[in-house]
Amino acid sequence: MSGKDQPMTGSALPPLFDDYGPVRPQRRDEAFSGSGRPRSHWRGFFDWLDTAGPEGYARSAADLDRLRAESGIAFAAREDEQRADSLPVILSAGDWKALERGLVQRAELAERALADIYGPGRVLREGVMPPGLVYASKGFAAHCTGWEPPVQHWLYVYEADIARAADGRWVVLADRLDTPLGDGWLIANRIATSEALSNPFVGMGVRRLATHYAAFQSYLDGLMGWEGRLALVTGGENDPRFFSHAYFARYLNAALIEPADITVRDGAAFVKTLAGLKKLDILLRGAQDRSLDALHRPDQAARGAPALSMATRSGQLISANALGSSALAYRGLAPFAHRLAETLLEADLLVSDAPCLWLGDPKARAQVREEREMWRIEPINQHTRVNRSQKWNSREEMEALLDLEGERYCAVATPRLAHTPCWEAGRIVPSEWMMRVFACRTADGWSLAPGGVAARVEPGHPPPDLSFGKDVWVLPDPAERAAPPITLRDVFSDSHLRRTGRDLLSRVADELFWLGRNVERAEATLRVLGIGLQYYLSGNRADAAPDVLCDLIAIQTQTVPPTPSDAAFQAAVRALVQDSGEPASMANILTSLRSNAIRARSAISEESWRYIDRLCSDSRWQRDTSLARSSDLLRLITDSLGILAAFAGSAQENLTRNYAWRFLEIGRRIERGVATAKVAERLAGQARENEETYLRAWLKLSDSASAYRSRYMMSTVAPAVIDLLVLDETNPRSLVYQIERLEYVLEQLPRDTPYRRPEHRQAMALLTAYRLADAETLARPDEAGGRHDLHALTARTRTDLGQVSTLLSRAFFAHSDVAEAVISQARLGEGGP
Amino acid sequence: MLYTVTHTTSYSYQNPAAFSQHLMRLKPRVLPGQQEVRSSTIRITPEPDSLRPHHDMFGNTAHVATITRPHSTIDILATSQIERAAPSAMISEASAPWEDVRDAALGISTRPVPVEISPFAFPSAMTQADAEIAGYARSSFAAGRPVLVGALELTARIFEDFTYLPGATGSDTLPVESFALRRGVCQDFAHVMLAGLRALRIPARYVSGYLRTIPPEGQPKLAGADASHAWVAVWDPVFGWVDFDPTNNMVPGLDHITLAWSRDYADVSPVSGIVIGAGHQILSVGVDVAPTVPEKGQSQAQSQ
Repeated sequence: MSGKDQPMTGSALPPLFDDYGPVRPQRRDEAFSGSGRPRSHWRGFFDWLDTAGPEGYARSAADLDRLRAESGIAFAAREDEQRADSLPVILSAGDWKALERGLVQRAELAERALADIYGPGRVLREGVMPPGLVYASKGFAAHCTGWEPPVQHWLYVYEADIARAADGRWVVLADRLDTPLGDGWLIANRIATSEALSNPFVGMGVRRLATHYAAFQSYLDGLMGWEGRLALVTGGENDPRFFSHAYFARYLNAALIEPADITVRDGAAFVKTLAGLKKLDILLRGAQDRSLDALHRPDQAARGAPALSMATRSGQLISANALGSSALAYRGLAPFAHRLAETLLEADLLVSDAPCLWLGDPKARAQVREEREMWRIEPINQHTRVNRSQKWNSREEMEALLDLEGERYCAVATPRLAHTPCWEAGRIVPSEWMMRVFACRTADGWSLAPGGVAARVEPGHPPPDLSFGKDVWVLPDPAERAAPPITLRDVFSDSHLRRTGRDLLSRVADELFWLGRNVERAEATLRVLGIGLQYYLSGNRADAAPDVLCDLIAIQTQTVPPTPSDAAFQAAVRALVQDSGEPASMANILTSLRSNAIRARSAISEESWRYIDRLCSDSRWQRDTSLARSSDLLRLITDSLGILAAFAGSAQENLTRNYAWRFLEIGRRIERGVATAKVAERLAGQARENEETYLRAWLKLSDSASAYRSRYMMSTVAPAVIDLLVLDETNPRSLVYQIERLEYVLEQLPRDTPYRRPEHRQAMALLTAYRLADAETLARPDEAGGRHDLHALTARTRTDLGQVSTLLSRAFFAHSDVAEAVISQARLGEGGP
Repeated sequence: MLYTVTHTTSYSYQNPAAFSQHLMRLKPRVLPGQQEVRSSTIRITPEPDSLRPHHDMFGNTAHVATITRPHSTIDILATSQIERAAPSAMISEASAPWEDVRDAALGISTRPVPVEISPFAFPSAMTQADAEIAGYARSSFAAGRPVLVGALELTARIFEDFTYLPGATGSDTLPVESFALRRGVCQDFAHVMLAGLRALRIPARYVSGYLRTIPPEGQPKLAGADASHAWVAVWDPVFGWVDFDPTNNMVPGLDHITLAWSRDYADVSPVSGIVIGAGHQILSVGVDVAPTVPEKGQSQAQSQ
């Protein structure tokens, strides 16, 4: 080594590389050889960069950001997930072949190691691996040991974090055995990148992912047969991997479920759907194994899917990956990987690990104590860092913890890594990098997806949590250029055609019902706020009288006392916008609405979801609500009502009239019925002196003012208004219209007997009551001015609709009502009569 | 000594349960030379749709029963006839230094590694120690002390220092809590002792079993006799697994009947399960361990 920096041969390079700096032979660079020349497999990309120029590239990078953000939004990714470097990492065919061999070997090693520790235990008996690494692990599942026959495979999917050391060798940073399924990011990232950078992507003939996933899909099909049911279980919308779970489930056409959707009956697993229990054949497991099967892990709080292991044990359910795989996850293989490979594979390990010491060994603990600066302490089976911020500051605490349970920790060091070009603020700079790669089983054995998700690594820092990232392009072997590959989008549409009309999960039906209710609730609050503010701003004395405003607002709030004053009005507006203690506040409704929509995401269209997302993420809801800024607020309300209308239209036009649409519609009609009944009571339940003002407010709230004018061309009188807003079956805002629609949809729900369902009968009876009523009677006040008949009808409506709602949830959303409980256990030493 | 053990577990539910599934570890283990199982039956009312046995990691027999018809009550009656012999003599001073026992379990000293004992050497979900428990246990294990001498002393100290008090702890109480309280029932006593031993990586297991209900004449009734009982066993390369009962400060003998063993209570609770749609549950448990005098002329070897 000369030690002298080699200048880059600048002439052939695009100007974007002006700041790239010298390439040093001691540090491998993906794009440049030690002498500073571009590597041959990057030439195509550099040629394109040269043509595109800095502006052209910046445009593509911006495109990519937009595309990623869009797919992120489409599957409810968290906001910070979408920012990622646009420059791909390009790997040559030969380089990849070697890596592929290494990782396929690694996946097989993990499989054999799990099969051994849960089976014959040879590696422990022969001292290849210390027993403490397995038996002290919180991931070790005693109830999955010694099964006869053993599960066919422990692993079906495998992910690894890998990096290239500065000297050019690949090293493994982590084996993700427990909950892989990060493939959603890989695929979404690839779709976005191949679109934004389509020119070089196509021109260079980058290897496609679709073939790999098609092979996985047909492998799964082969395992479960045509009638089989595939589901992906996620930890839920707050799981950091939710985006990938949702995306990958959609891609594979698997039902996206949560642990509570699963029930185990007599050796088989079922999901709860509207049509009853449906047997599950393959479970892609995105929820941690330790959080499942409360029957066998009573110490773990989660109550999802008790007895799940019995379904796998009986061979009726394939769990991909198997319960118990976390015992060797993350860094569990690393400390003894070479010895494991020699024993279990009778082969040399092809890809080594980044330095990793198992801290169950007192000698390793002593070494780490000596070389404190070099090592990071991490739980061995989990990707969470202990004392990330304090590191070794609280040394005594750490030492005490390691003395008590050192077996559960390891010390790791990330070596100096290779560089790759990265896009940063309009220029290209070198940076250390790592990537996650994805493997799965196919009919022909393990297959590694040709590509990966890469990220920059700050030197000496732990690798980042990956979501979206730099796309990794693998070039084809020029000797074997394949036939035109199928694209990812082809696979998407193909699989959709094959299987449609799956049974709706009970939980999703429940979410849709509440989505419908919350959409209506949002609209009701928005309308009340809107009319109130309009009156306030218009300055029309009669309409804007404080008592009218307060009565209007009081329809929605529970927290603000309806004293007629400007201050009370201001307080009520604030409460209705931002107060989380106010049930009908926008803050509350939007939170629930978003959660309903995410959890029902699989049943609604992307367009519909986008409307909800846009509504809920509007930052203007956080702003100042003082009446001085009421025109801003009014604009926000108008915009939001517009989005809700768009959502309603989209749901109406784009959802097929299946159960999903029905539950959305039922929720909507019940909520609007209850709300309209409340408004009728509040605004027309009592004959007043200034009744016209109230009636006008009611017409405006119901968006029926012009309908009224076109019909009556006269001043506002109670019988006419009541007829239009309560009894007119042609007015979509009238009370009876909601009941009529509700009755119509309820009739179409599945039933077990030839008789009408109880909630349907209730709705029919209520509808008849409306049809038998007349406006004159309803509008007639008694001596005290009260409209008794109207009151009776609206009160009955609210009660009946409440009962319909209860009956529905009892019949269809069984998971919430009919609880599945772990049986309380006899306390040792305390039993007895 | 021949015993008849009846263990009844009854649940009654607020609402009829649509479905229930029960995991039972109610079949007593055979201990060659110490405990023979003449017969063992489990009867469940209502009749389950299926009742299937399997073996768990520790060699216990677990039965799984499934009931899919609506039912408001379940009665599980386990009846066993056990012949209990006195355990073979144990000379605690002759046991191995505790460090040797530890090193064997950790796979440091012997080949092949005795993997049957290793799972019992590490803290489990319900036997995690803190520094206090570790320190408490350590003072019974001076360097080079024979492991069973240390275990005897630790048994006695827990018996002295802790108050047997039903109701002070719950079935999910962890040893760090009951240790701080210095009170609990047999399950807590056993968990504390296990946490201490395993903090030192001495292999020790949790034993679930029964005590003779009515003591022999002239002897006091032992604590925990009306229900399931729990104690601890410690391993030594020569004597094998040796039982210690910290609740009664004794080495179990003729009055203790072993049901099953495992790392802790969570692995081996006698009856657990899931139920759908039952609402509130009322549980009652009864255990009776009665000495039986075999009648003359009858075959002693009844089988089930």
